[in-house]
Amino acid sequence: MLSEIFISALLVIGGVFGLVGSYGLVKLRDAMQRLHAPTKATTVGIGGILCASIAIAWLERGVASTHELLITLFLFVTAPVTANFIAKAYMHRNIEAASLPQTETSCGWAGYAPPPGENEPPSGDKSN
Amino acid sequence: MNNASLLPIMALLPFLGALVPGLMIRAGRTACATFTAVPTILALVMLGLCAPDVFRGEVLQIEFEWLPALGLSVSFFLDGLGLLFAGMILFVGLLITLYARFYLSGDDPAGQFFTYLLLFQGAMLGIVLSNNILLLLIFWELTSLSSFLLIGYWTHLPEGRQGARMALTVTGMGGLSMIAGMLILGNIAGSYELTDILAAGDAIKSSDYYLPALLLILGGAFTKSAQFPFHFWLPHAMAAPTPVSAYLHSATMVKAGVFLMARMWPALAGTDAWFYAVGTVGLITMVLGALIALFKDDLKALLAFSTVSHLGLLTMMLGFGTEAAAIGAVFHIINHLTFKAALFMTAGIVDHEAHTRDIKRLGGLRHLMPITFVIAVIAGLSMAGIPLFNGFLSKELMLEEAAHTDWRGSHYAVPILATLGALLSVAYSFRFISHTFFGPVRDDYPAKPHDPNFGMWAAPGLLVVLVLLIGIFPQATVGPLVELAATAVVGHELHHWHDLKIWHGVTPALIMSAIAVLGGLILLALHRPLERLWNAVPRPEAKVIFDHVVGWAVAGSDWIAHKTHNGAISRYLAIFVVSTLALGAIAASGGGLAPATRALLPVPPLAWIGFLLLVVAAIAVVLLHRERFLSLILISIVGLGVSGGFVYLSAPDLALTQISVETVTIMLMLLALHFLPKSTPAESGIFRRVRDGAIALGVGGAVASLTFAFLLRDFSSISEFHLTQSKVGGGGTNVVNVILVDFRGYDTFGEIIVLGIAGLIIYALMHALLDGPAARRLRNWEFTQERSRDRHPMLMVIATRVMLPMTAMVGVYIFLRGHNEPGGGFVAGLIIAIALLMQYMASGFGWAQERQRIEYHAMIGWGVAIAGLTGTAAWLFGKPFLTSSFGYFHIPPIEEFELATAMAFDLGVFLTVLGAVMLMLYSLSRIARYAGETVNTAAMDYDPSQGIRETTEEER
Repeated sequence: MLSEIFISALLVIGGVFGLVGSYGLVKLRDAMQRLHAPTKATTVGIGGILCASIAIAWLERGVASTHELLITLFLFVTAPVTANFIAKAYMHRNIEAASLPQTETSCGWAGYAPPPGENEPPSGDKSN
Repeated sequence: MNNASLLPIMALLPFLGALVPGLMIRAGRTACATFTAVPTILALVMLGLCAPDVFRGEVLQIEFEWLPALGLSVSFFLDGLGLLFAGMILFVGLLITLYARFYLSGDDPAGQFFTYLLLFQGAMLGIVLSNNILLLLIFWELTSLSSFLLIGYWTHLPEGRQGARMALTVTGMGGLSMIAGMLILGNIAGSYELTDILAAGDAIKSSDYYLPALLLILGGAFTKSAQFPFHFWLPHAMAAPTPVSAYLHSATMVKAGVFLMARMWPALAGTDAWFYAVGTVGLITMVLGALIALFKDDLKALLAFSTVSHLGLLTMMLGFGTEAAAIGAVFHIINHLTFKAALFMTAGIVDHEAHTRDIKRLGGLRHLMPITFVIAVIAGLSMAGIPLFNGFLSKELMLEEAAHTDWRGSHYAVPILATLGALLSVAYSFRFISHTFFGPVRDDYPAKPHDPNFGMWAAPGLLVVLVLLIGIFPQATVGPLVELAATAVVGHELHHWHDLKIWHGVTPALIMSAIAVLGGLILLALHRPLERLWNAVPRPEAKVIFDHVVGWAVAGSDWIAHKTHNGAISRYLAIFVVSTLALGAIAASGGGLAPATRALLPVPPLAWIGFLLLVVAAIAVVLLHRERFLSLILISIVGLGVSGGFVYLSAPDLALTQISVETVTIMLMLLALHFLPKSTPAESGIFRRVRDGAIALGVGGAVASLTFAFLLRDFSSISEFHLTQSKVGGGGTNVVNVILVDFRGYDTFGEIIVLGIAGLIIYALMHALLDGPAARRLRNWEFTQERSRDRHPMLMVIATRVMLPMTAMVGVYIFLRGHNEPGGGFVAGLIIAIALLMQYMASGFGWAQERQRIEYHAMIGWGVAIAGLTGTAAWLFGKPFLTSSFGYFHIPPIEEFELATAMAFDLGVFLTVLGAVMLMLYSLSRIARYAGETVNTAAMDYDPSQGIRETTEEER
């Protein structure tokens, strides 16, 4: 009984966060704002469901299940990369280099200026 | 040893021998000719060993099974007719070899010539020895092909090429017609064995299919033997070197049609249809051929039309359908061979020495070429049918038979026309002799004519000796052979056999013969005015008509080909799906659909949502397909939806495969899109859109309703077997995997080969593409958008490095469990490919390439090799290819596990898939290189650890 309540609570938490994340994706104005919404779903949202899954296997069937940990691991590795790339792509397409604040180092913004230690290549040169 | 076992060796010898001269082309003409003579002589010796048996009345037979299901067997038999023809083919072949040795010049590739000659000889021998009509058809087509090579031997001459094409077209078409006829015949007789068919003659003649079979077979025989109206190809085949003409048109190729009619005589002859079809065509051909021959100035053309005429004579005799006519035909086959081969060789000698074959430019050669003159006179008089020469004897038999033949109630039609034919034959024979050799010596020959060396006139010399011997002592020389062969033709003992002799008393035939000789001499005297008349009268030119017909056929094929294959894939797809739709509609309208046996399952809301998502995404792809990037995203939604559907319908294997295929495809397409325009221009009009839309909807609807209809019905399929046998027979509980690697391992083996080939072809095409104009376009590629400066961001690089071992582990896991649970080599290959793809995308191809130890080409090769070796390993245990075996093992620390040979096979699948995908990626990266992407050497744009390392080193 207690375990059922516990599992249900996990499922509800996960579900609510997933819903909030999805709603945010629709509701928020532009891509940079929308980036925040799915983070709710991928962390607590999916996390709740996965915890519930582990709990069911352990408490109800008495089996130690570790698949879920692997899924969590994959999510934790991939989600930041995805978000990072979406942000970069958005900036690349929509934000002028001039409107960005100065960086505190000698190098410019990634994606706008060449990486440290590399000079600006002469433009239009394509001869390898 | 039974002599019958010599028959297949005899038929095979020329083919084996054909390998030799072609290879020793550098050894010179004499060596080539010698090695051509060897198999011929050997075969002649074997024939000689068999001959006594045949003369005793035996029929030698031997049979090996080849494709018993089709009724095709390698079976040979030798009776009198076969003996006669085989003897002729080999004997004349030998003489031709000798003659050709001296006829061919040093510039001609003699090795090729003798190879073709032996091929042809083997094909002809096959025809006359075959006891299975399907085997006979194979040899029949081989004669068409090898004669094509021989006629077109002088490939630099347009006449030679055109003549060869024409001969191939006409005889090839005839061959097709004969195939149909023979199949019908075999069907009536219930066997394709010739001996059975000949025995079933009465059943065949009374069958309803007798007439079509007869006409189709005659179509083959008439085209081969140049009977009217197919006679036109033979004169054009005269562009061949003279040895070829002498061989093909005296003894072999054109006699094949006559042989076939003689062979089929017991089965087909004796009916009215046979008489009117064969007899009439023969009669017309005989008269027409002789008439044209009289007005030909080219020696070889004259002989060609005389051959047409004599073939007509033979055909007519066989068409009479009487025993006496069959005897006459067999006798004339021998006689025609002797004098005609000699005449062709004589014409060749004249051409060789005087450098022209034009009668108008010749004359008076009897003083310059006395030996040739003697040979030509003897052979020519025989052709004219003068007593004491062998041509006379068989012509007498022909006229005798013609004198007794009624044609549609008329007593006179056949005798008069036969006499006319003989008369014309006398005229052109005398013209050949007198206009070439008599008359004053001229001083304007293109070259100085003289007798050739012995080697060149030996063969025709021997033949005219035979002409005289047969002409004077017919019964002693060929009497028994004629009797034997004629018995074989009619299929029973001869009732009216008389010994061959010269003097029969004053018979109608003798009177007709006398009229012919006198009339022929008168015609020759009147030749000049008659020729003017002949040239003034318009005649249809066969070659022009033939060329027109061929032109129409080519234009028609072109039209169809260009309408259906216009280079646009949408056209092919439209044709393909519309015809499938039409066939489906016909099948559906047949009314064979059983009523539905299953009720519709309830559809839960989740399924509805997935379904709607699929529909919406599909419609969106259609609406937005011009935006290529967007449509790729939409396509991936469809792919995910389908995978979800598989999960919902309890097909985890398919879902897993689908999802990994989707991932790889979308990744590769995204990379390819980089080098393509980002949007598709609107090119199609409203009509095309509506039409194509209608086609697409129609086909989609049809497939959907077909699926729906299937799902609502119970039907038995092979699935039951797969489900029950998976564990017991294949040792795996994952039925899908067991089907792939075991039950249908052969299919999978084929498929991975196809996949490997596809990968290699993409690579090869890219190779070819980057050598052409596409490379220039790529070099000048202007990327429309400003490009980001960080090509290999640190975050991405690190993440993929972390992911690599995890993904690899998943891949191995999926691979290992494949036999019993969803997974397998295919999916595992894709997963590892995705893991590697990520490395390549994060750090660039150049960097990743350096860390790759195995070539992708080699990986594909190893994959196919491992799968194939696994299959062949079954042979070592005496099992069929790809039989799998499995066993359970128990090594203490781990649980009991199973090993199956299917796993090695799956490893092959895995390697091939991985190699093919990576090769595709490599091809894309080559494009990038051409488009001006630089090669990266570092893993990422900015490596902070590099900076730290440098500082610590400085501090030290």
